[in-house]
Amino acid sequence: MTAPLYIALRFATHRKRALLLSLVGVVFGVGIFICTQAQTQGFAEFFIDSTIGSNGALVVRSRFQPRYEGLVVPSKNVNALPARRNYFEGVHNVSEIMRVSRQFSNVVACSPVLRGNVSARSGFETATVELFGIDPPSHLRATDLAKQIIDGKFDDFTNNSSAVILGYRLAEQLEVGCGDSIQLLSPGGEYWRFVVAAIARSGVGTIDSTRVYAQTRAAQRLLKKPYEASMIIYKLRDPYRAPALETHFENLFQHSSQSWQEREESTLQLFIMLRLSVAITVSLMILLAGFGIFNVLTMSVLSKIREIAILRSMGYRRIDISAIFLWQGALIAGVGSLLGCVLGAAMTLGISKVPIHIRGLLYTNHFLVVWDWRHYFWATLLAVVAVFIASYVPAQRAAHLQPVDTLRGSSL
Amino acid sequence: MKGHISLSCRELERYLGEEEERVHALRGVSLEVEAGSLHAVVGPSGCGKSTLLYILGLLDTPDAGSLEISSTQIADLSDEELARRRNQLIGFIFQFHFLMEDFTAQENVMVPMRRLGRLSEEEMGERAASLLAAVDLGDKLRRQSRHLSGGEQQRVAIARALANDPQVILADEPTGNLDTNNSQRAFDLLANIVREREKALLLVTHNRSIAEACDWVHEMKDGRIIASHPRGARSSTS
Repeated sequence: MTAPLYIALRFATHRKRALLLSLVGVVFGVGIFICTQAQTQGFAEFFIDSTIGSNGALVVRSRFQPRYEGLVVPSKNVNALPARRNYFEGVHNVSEIMRVSRQFSNVVACSPVLRGNVSARSGFETATVELFGIDPPSHLRATDLAKQIIDGKFDDFTNNSSAVILGYRLAEQLEVGCGDSIQLLSPGGEYWRFVVAAIARSGVGTIDSTRVYAQTRAAQRLLKKPYEASMIIYKLRDPYRAPALETHFENLFQHSSQSWQEREESTLQLFIMLRLSVAITVSLMILLAGFGIFNVLTMSVLSKIREIAILRSMGYRRIDISAIFLWQGALIAGVGSLLGCVLGAAMTLGISKVPIHIRGLLYTNHFLVVWDWRHYFWATLLAVVAVFIASYVPAQRAAHLQPVDTLRGSSL
Repeated sequence: MKGHISLSCRELERYLGEEEERVHALRGVSLEVEAGSLHAVVGPSGCGKSTLLYILGLLDTPDAGSLEISSTQIADLSDEELARRRNQLIGFIFQFHFLMEDFTAQENVMVPMRRLGRLSEEEMGERAASLLAAVDLGDKLRRQSRHLSGGEQQRVAIARALANDPQVILADEPTGNLDTNNSQRAFDLLANIVREREKALLLVTHNRSIAEACDWVHEMKDGRIIASHPRGARSSTS
């Protein structure tokens, strides 16, 4: 053990109460930082998992007409808007696009979907719904629909061409359950009757309150579409690389593509803002603890002026004196961070068991948390930086005290 | 003087304060202290005794003049180098003993050894114990310094000054805070150690009997040594 560390340990025990208060500040700052980050990220990741599980990580949509930039004569009007892309509704060569895209290592599965908005009716209740015409086996591979079934059987849907799966909130709104029938209004103005085979819950409010799954052929007839797919949804090995694949697919297939990050941009930004806001608030707590440590160490320097002078007279260098106070800060940061991490983990575990009733943007019956080592890393780093800054000034002050001034003041 | 010169200074000059408050604290002070000898510096308050002591102890730097400790010229050294030499070559004893309050007697003596870093924890403990035994505190090793009497605390400070076996011991009123009995006892102890271990002692004191018991007495006035005489004599060699 170095001499400054030894003396720091002894000095630290001198002002136990003040030091304990500083330590408590760091412990709670780190703990609450970890817990709040675990929660906010928990809700965000639940939303991401749910939306990817229902709508895919990547979607290929309508074909667009390629523009041959080299042939375009530049406009003389500098204010002229660039020419707009021409889109053609629906996906062309669905099987070929799916065959080629399966060659990409990041693609796990893909599923064609015929999508349209229709009106649904059951008894006296009506609702505007988003109809997803799906190929059941492909859709099972590309999404989490099977896991989302909370009532009924997916096989009943597969084996019956006039069966549908409803989002659970839509089912509540239409007041129907498994085995009941609903009517969907075709663009031609005629109602088609379907039987509810299953109820699904994705966890995302907007999906659960509007989504109706039907088989592709039934959807195609109902929507009177000439094509079998208005989009292809993809399940990816690494969903976070979806934007790169999106650009690649657009160039390759000449169809518009959209990653989940682009699709859910506004909601994701909301979560990021929330996380940042909470992180800033909790960081202020840690900074406040740092301010407390600054005070404690400054007082410690003032109360140890005599000891500092005597240490200097015994050959301790300025750097040793500085190290004594920096070590005290380091001890607070180290012990505080360690205990804070334990507290953070305990609080995260505890809060994940707390029952809550959320039925809006998300569906959950308890707090959602994520266990991520980065929360512990950032909380510790923040505490270490705050404590170092708080310790540095008193340490420098101690190092630059003139021992002669103290000795002269005491001995003359 | 005979024998090896442990400490010498030549023509030391020192100014303290700024502008109107500037004081010429030392005016060409020269002296030599040989190993195994005791030197006392006496004089009225404010004559520059402590300033001289701090310069000789490398805690302060002179504005002019030269300083040599254990045959090493001390000039233009960095703060770090001065601290290293202070740790190795000099032992300080102060009027108010300046012990670490929360440390035991043994831990206090170990403080300079820790900085030197030449001994293991066990060796430091053993050396501190033997030094404390030499000042009759062998039975109070683990007692916190605040629980020791004034005389005992000063004896711990003497043991601490010897911790790194320095060539030079500088003492600023080492008996100034003690009663007559303890004063004499502390001085006798210090004198024996210095003579037995061949150290050079320079002490600043107002106590005439302590000063007269030293081998040499240097009288200071207005920043100058106005007289230096060996024990029992009154020869001026300023």
